[in-house]
Parts: sequence; C-alpha cells; structure tokens
Amino acid sequence: MSKLKLKGVEIVETFAEAFPMVGTRVIITAPTLEWALTAARTMTGFATSVIACGAEAGIERTLKPNETLDGRPGVAVLLFAMETGKLQKQLLNRVGQCVLTSAGSACFAGLDGEKKLKLGSSLRFFGDGWQMSKVIGGRRFWRVPVMDGEFVCEDKTGLTKKAVGGGNLLVLGRSYAAVLAACTRAVKAMDAVPDVITPFPGGIVRSGSKVGSKYKGQIASTNDAYCPTLKAAVKTELPLEVEAVMEIVIDGLTADSIAKAMRAGIHAICAKGAVEGITHITAGNYGGNLGPHHFHLKEIIA
Amino acid sequence: MTALSFRLTAKPEQRLDLSPLTPSKLAGKSAGDIEALPIGTTREPVTVGDMFKVKGNDAGKIRLIGTDGRCDRIGQGLAQGEIVVDGDAGAYLGAAMRGGTLVVNGSAGPFAGGGMAGGSIDIAGSAGERAAGVIVGETFGMRGGRLAIGGKAGPMLGERMRRGLVIVAGGAGDYAGARMIAGTILLKGRVGRFAGYGLRRGSLILSKEPEHLLPTFGDCGLLDFNWLRVLDGYLKEIGARVKVKARARRLMGDMAVLGKGEMLILA
Repeated sequence: MSKLKLKGVEIVETFAEAFPMVGTRVIITAPTLEWALTAARTMTGFATSVIACGAEAGIERTLKPNETLDGRPGVAVLLFAMETGKLQKQLLNRVGQCVLTSAGSACFAGLDGEKKLKLGSSLRFFGDGWQMSKVIGGRRFWRVPVMDGEFVCEDKTGLTKKAVGGGNLLVLGRSYAAVLAACTRAVKAMDAVPDVITPFPGGIVRSGSKVGSKYKGQIASTNDAYCPTLKAAVKTELPLEVEAVMEIVIDGLTADSIAKAMRAGIHAICAKGAVEGITHITAGNYGGNLGPHHFHLKEIIA
Repeated sequence: MTALSFRLTAKPEQRLDLSPLTPSKLAGKSAGDIEALPIGTTREPVTVGDMFKVKGNDAGKIRLIGTDGRCDRIGQGLAQGEIVVDGDAGAYLGAAMRGGTLVVNGSAGPFAGGGMAGGSIDIAGSAGERAAGVIVGETFGMRGGRLAIGGKAGPMLGERMRRGLVIVAGGAGDYAGARMIAGTILLKGRVGRFAGYGLRRGSLILSKEPEHLLPTFGDCGLLDFNWLRVLDGYLKEIGARVKVKARARRLMGDMAVLGKGEMLILA
C-alpha cells in the first residue's frame, strides 16, 4: 500500500480522537482594539487545558466597530469546559476578574442557544445596589458603576453542548526550526477558521501528554513515544531522523469547524513541502474507545 | 391574500370601540360576521358594516383607512400581526398590547400604548396625554415593547412605566416620566414642567435640559455612557429617526423618592 503524501510530507493514516465539551462565546469591546485585546488575553490566560486550568479558552477573532453592539472595536472569545457547571464558574470568574477590571471594557453575549449561562446577571452584584438593568431590543444589559464610568455587561450568553475539544495534529520534522515555522503557519491558517481556538501558547503544545504515569497522583505525563531524546529507550513512534515534534490542539463550537481547521492546518504545514524538513503529520488518539469524535486525516484532506 | 381593510365611510356620531378589529379576533371570520361586529359605545347600536367599507381577506394584516380621533381602542390587546392606520386614532391606541406592530400615519389620542407589554407602536404624528402610561384600572404603565411618537407627546408621558422604550421626536408636556419605575424614554425637543417627577429608577434621555428642572435631581456631571452606544445601534436597526451619542450629563433622581433614576441630558 502506498503511503499518503502531501507535497512529500507523509500524512499518517490515523485519526485525532476528540471529546464532547460545552462551549460559549463572549464579545469584549473597549475604546481601542488594543484594550479589547488586553482584556481578552487576560481572560484567556491560564486556559490551555482543562486538566489543571478549569477551562480552555482563546481569542477567536477580532471584530470591527461595525460588528459590535456598541460600535467599538471588539474581540470574540471562546471558552470551553467539560461540563456546564464548570463552564459557568470559569466564565464568571474570568469575566469578573479580567474583563470587569479592564479599562473601558464591555462584555456581550456571543452565542445564541436555548441554554444560557449567567453573565451580567451575577456580575451585576458588584454594583452594590447601584447597578441598572436596561432591556434594548429584547436583550438585557446591566450597567455596573465603576471608577472609569460604567461596565456594560449582557445579562446572559448562550451555551452549546455540541462543542468538541481535543482535535489535534502532531507535526514531525527533521529540523526543529522547520517544525516551529510550519506549526506557526498552521496556527495562523486556523485563526481564519470561524468557531475554533487553539488554546495552547501560540496555538502550539510542545509537551504532548499521555494518560497516566509511573507516579501515583500524576494524571498525565510526557508522551514518551514522541520524545526525540528517548527514541532508543521507549517504544518510539519516531524515525531516527526526527528532531522535534509539536502538537496543535483545537477546540471548536462544532465538530465540523474542527475538521475545517485541521484541513487548513495540514495544508499550511505542507505548503513548503518536504524540503523544508517536515517528515510526517499524524494525530493523537487513545485507540478510538474514549472519544466519540474521530477526525481521520485521510478524510480531512480529501 | 390581500390585507383586510376597513375604510371609514362617514364621520362617526359617537365614539367607536375598535378593539374587536385585531388579527386574532378576526381570524377565521367571514365578511358578514365582521360587518355585524358591534363597535358602538352608546345606547345607539353601531356595527362595523354601518361605519366601514370592508375589503380583503388577510386578517393578519389589517388596514384602517380614513379614521379620526373618535376611533378608540385600535389594536387594544394586540398580540400578533400588524395594523396600519391611515388616519388618526382615538384613545387607548394599542393599550395593553402584547405583540405585533401598529403603525399610525396620523395622530393618536390619550393612553396610546398605555400598559403595553410588547410589540411596537409607531405614531407619525402626536400623541395625547398619558402615552405609555397607566390605563384606568391598572397600577403600572408600559411594561415592555416600543412606542415611537414622531410629533409631540402630551402630559404624563410614561407614567409608572416599568420597562420598554419610548421614543418621542417632538417634545412632551408636563410630568414626562412621572413616577417611572424603570424603562427608557428618549425625548427630543422641548419638555414641559416637572419632568421626572417621582422617578424611582429608569432613564429619561433628553436632548436639552428642561427649562424647569426639579430641585430633587442631583448632578453627576458630563460623562460617557457606553449603553447609549448600544441604544444608538438599536435605533439604527429599527430605522428610528432619532440618534443618540454616548456623551451626556447625568442627573440622578428623583431624590424625593428612591432616587436611583436618571435624567441623561445629551451633550
């Protein structure tokens, strides 16, 4: 059987195994895009993995003044967790500590949905009785007096239970620089895909993990099969010439959006061909029994 | 299907109660049934057929043509569909309305949108006293929806209003926003005496400072209000003729009562 190759880069015949998550979107606006980004970056900080952060979050895209409710520059933020209660807690903590506090900010719902998450309906209590509710066009907003004026925050935002977390690509290469450059390109290409985020630093995770460990209490540990320095000692997945492996993890509001992002990523990685130093693109899975969503690389690039 | 239209054939000799002429009340009725509906308000019986020439068959879209200020209760309790009035409306236009749209090309009498809870009313001309206010037998004024008045509003505009948006382009009489509990009134033009009298919560947005300002309102100075930007976006969306900018002087009151309301005087 011939191997599947894209511009000389081998696409391993495997699949990314992903899990159902609950997700939401909020829109943060501010007097300038820079300040909206500041609030959004703060809110999505320390949100790489649900393993220890409680939520996975990231900036989906920036919004022009004509795309926001208050006509100011804005940022769309996506937030994911494994269950609704945890998502609710993370949303309130993060908006309360990172957006409410950010100069000139306002926070609006970014998702419709039958199920709702509390937003302003809880944060309003910061107003200590001076908060005011305004219903405009059927949507309820809270005006909370703060030292730079008023924090305007929508009462609720929508929630989706059809979100998917853990779509991924593993990129193997003969040169460290090539893997980093190719992954950076891939993250950039995925940024253009709606409804997805890449929650790790710069969209890339260099410390992919496996479940469990030799140590009691360590729930995840290094993915030794993909560590280039351990090739001779473990049941490695890496050919001898591979110098580095990096992973891109994708969370999306729908399974379809993750497939689109993976497709955009694979094409961006292979854009410069095998001569750049990328040898393989593969994906992480647990044999297919844990997660209901299987993204087969072969089908994704078809 | 063409809109169900009612053309007034003669000047009414008594006030007419047109509350039966709403989409839900007329749905499924034959032309004969409709013409037999009583609309009189005195001992002298009057039916729809006596006063109106009826045409069309789509009860979801009602047209009232040539009506005058004696045509009361147009669209009262309206829940869905649309009514367009090519003429004036009497008292209780769209009172206690819950949904749908009501458009009046002329002016309306007292209690327009009184106690309404949803839907939208657009009056091209002026409205009489107590628009969006308390109708007889009720304890609250407007509870939701939108009332737009192209001309002037009479006294007691939005009295004891709880929620919803009132937009007035041509000024208002005395006691605008009196005893308001919450909600928003956007008022362009001159406003009479005692604006915001007894205001508990809610916003009275004015294009200029009232000539007679109640002494029980306290100044918070000139500030930017982001929610006015949200409001302006909504005004654009619904095609309203008025605009608001974010900067306004905030006066809080009425300190004689709860005092958590505001008068925002646009800069």
